[in-house]
Amino acid sequence: MNRGAPSRRLDGILSAARDEVQDVEFTALRERKRTDPDFHAVGCFPVWVPQEVVHAAGALPVAVWGGGDRIEIERADARVQSFICSISRSTLELGLTDRLDFLDGMLFGSLCDVARNLSGVWARNFPDQYVDYLHYPQNLASPLAPGYLREDLMRLARELGGRFGVVVDDDRLQASIELYEGLRARLRKLADLRSAEPWRLSLEELQVLVRAAGRRDPAEHAAVLDEVLDLLPEREVRRQDGIRVVLEGSFCEQPSLELLRAFDDAHCFVVDADLARGLRFFREPLPPDDDPWRRLVDGFLHHAEASIVRHVAPHERTARLLERIEAADADGVVFCTAKFCEPAFYDFVLHKRALEERKVPFMAVEFEEKMSSFESLRTQAETFVESILFFSEEVVG
Amino acid sequence: MSTVLGVDVGSRMTKAVVLDVEAAPGREILGCGKVYTHFDLADAARRAAAAALEDAGRGAGEVAYLSATGYGRYQVADRDLQITEMTCHARGAVELMPGVVSVIDVGAQNARAIRLAPSGRVLQFRMNDKCASGAGRFVERVAKALEIDLEEVSGLALRAEQPCEISSICAVLAESEVINHVTNGASIPDILQGTHVSISDRLASLVRQVGAEEPFALTGGVSRNEALVRALEERLEMRVQRHPLAEYAGALGAALLGRQRLHARAHAVPT
Repeated sequence: MNRGAPSRRLDGILSAARDEVQDVEFTALRERKRTDPDFHAVGCFPVWVPQEVVHAAGALPVAVWGGGDRIEIERADARVQSFICSISRSTLELGLTDRLDFLDGMLFGSLCDVARNLSGVWARNFPDQYVDYLHYPQNLASPLAPGYLREDLMRLARELGGRFGVVVDDDRLQASIELYEGLRARLRKLADLRSAEPWRLSLEELQVLVRAAGRRDPAEHAAVLDEVLDLLPEREVRRQDGIRVVLEGSFCEQPSLELLRAFDDAHCFVVDADLARGLRFFREPLPPDDDPWRRLVDGFLHHAEASIVRHVAPHERTARLLERIEAADADGVVFCTAKFCEPAFYDFVLHKRALEERKVPFMAVEFEEKMSSFESLRTQAETFVESILFFSEEVVG
Repeated sequence: MSTVLGVDVGSRMTKAVVLDVEAAPGREILGCGKVYTHFDLADAARRAAAAALEDAGRGAGEVAYLSATGYGRYQVADRDLQITEMTCHARGAVELMPGVVSVIDVGAQNARAIRLAPSGRVLQFRMNDKCASGAGRFVERVAKALEIDLEEVSGLALRAEQPCEISSICAVLAESEVINHVTNGASIPDILQGTHVSISDRLASLVRQVGAEEPFALTGGVSRNEALVRALEERLEMRVQRHPLAEYAGALGAALLGRQRLHARAHAVPT
């Protein structure tokens, strides 16, 4: 079949983004650092780091989310245990093999014990980088939480800005917030489009575009996303039959692109996911506010997704999952959890109980970065699809 | 009048079945088609579909839903849905042989024993997915070693007086064993039936693992091999049901399930 120009152009955009997000050498960013002495970059470990503050302080926030299946762990195991999650080990490996020497700093946000320890290992091994572990409020309902978070964001801005010769004033931060709000708005539009017609934009393609947002200049990537949004309606596609599911549990370590393809292959269409949660942390646009610090703090406290990394009460997280299932008109849930990820497994138990009570079908899979065979996962997903399409009354009843 | 197409892309043969969407039960099958798969799976699906549509006297434009099964199902580009072989063979077997509660599907490369719920839902299955030790390719290799046409195998094997023992479970190594039997003067019928007995042992093991009970059905291309069916019946001490269209059970199951989806979508409340 001769494919039209829009489809070919779209393939080109996706291919470039795919190459970039899988490039463990960070070639584009290294090159920029080499040619532009004023370019600064700060690595951001998942889940959430305030990109806006980093950007306003004069640096590009770069999502550093492990090495995927592209690197071998050789040096990192001398510093961390082999029974922790893949993303922590491979991120450290990226650093120890000098692949991240273009970074001026590395930030870690409240997440888990492993991430906290990694930040300590990082500070010791990379003394030239600015390294910080950001402690977000544990009690979101406390009247002290807004002031505490505001102060800590301001501290981060002062320290980073001091390093890059920038004073982060309100105008500067507001401009950065607008940039990232624009980027998130486009990512939401893409996700909505995928949800409406999953066969028009695959899960893998959507995630490639989401992950690229963690590596590219926000204005440049927004322009790319605008083009994608223009091209997608023109794409030649054929409607496919299958089920709609919400995917949960991949908020930190990311499944490989091949694993994501397996779900679409099985027509187990993921129409809402917590994949790359940090880049889509706010579930809705941040309300305008003349005070940009208050805008960010308010965003964290009131407009971010319920997530175990935001210390929302467990029953609220489950309630939000149920809301998402309904909003997505989903037939079921796929728990896709990284091996050794304690936060995700903690949530799984609570979510599972609620789904069983409501007779919502679900399946659970575990993954790690170095997975190489997806045949059994695809068959599992396919069987899940069949159980819902052909035998749902028997299974649920 | 629209149709539903089910395509089963197997490792040796690709089968297709065309169903009438609205016809009364028992009158839905409009046509069947079968081609050698070769190496281009997408092309095999196209050729089998074309053969089935020609047999049905229908055009490709009338196909309202295409469901694919078999190991090459992901290569059927225009599919609405792909469905596992287990689910399709179970559904196809129940349609062809109502009341069956156990099925063994023996194809060229794989064998699958399935225990069913009365609705046709798969309750349990086991398959030999490591090699061709319990499947049609085993017979094919032996026939080739003996320079016999595959279609003649069953008739010759039924004349066996004292089936030879074929102990190897590997199709490649079994070839050497067959040559040894030839060297020792064994008759061709005895060697062939020895092969069938050997395969039946492994099939019976699969069947027992799923706790199969009667009524018990055999589907897949091997169902046309009378000698192997008798050997299997002896091993299992059960009657093995077959159907002239048993080879098409996977494609038929895919088509029936596709039709079910088509009807479900037609009656779904728009959201």
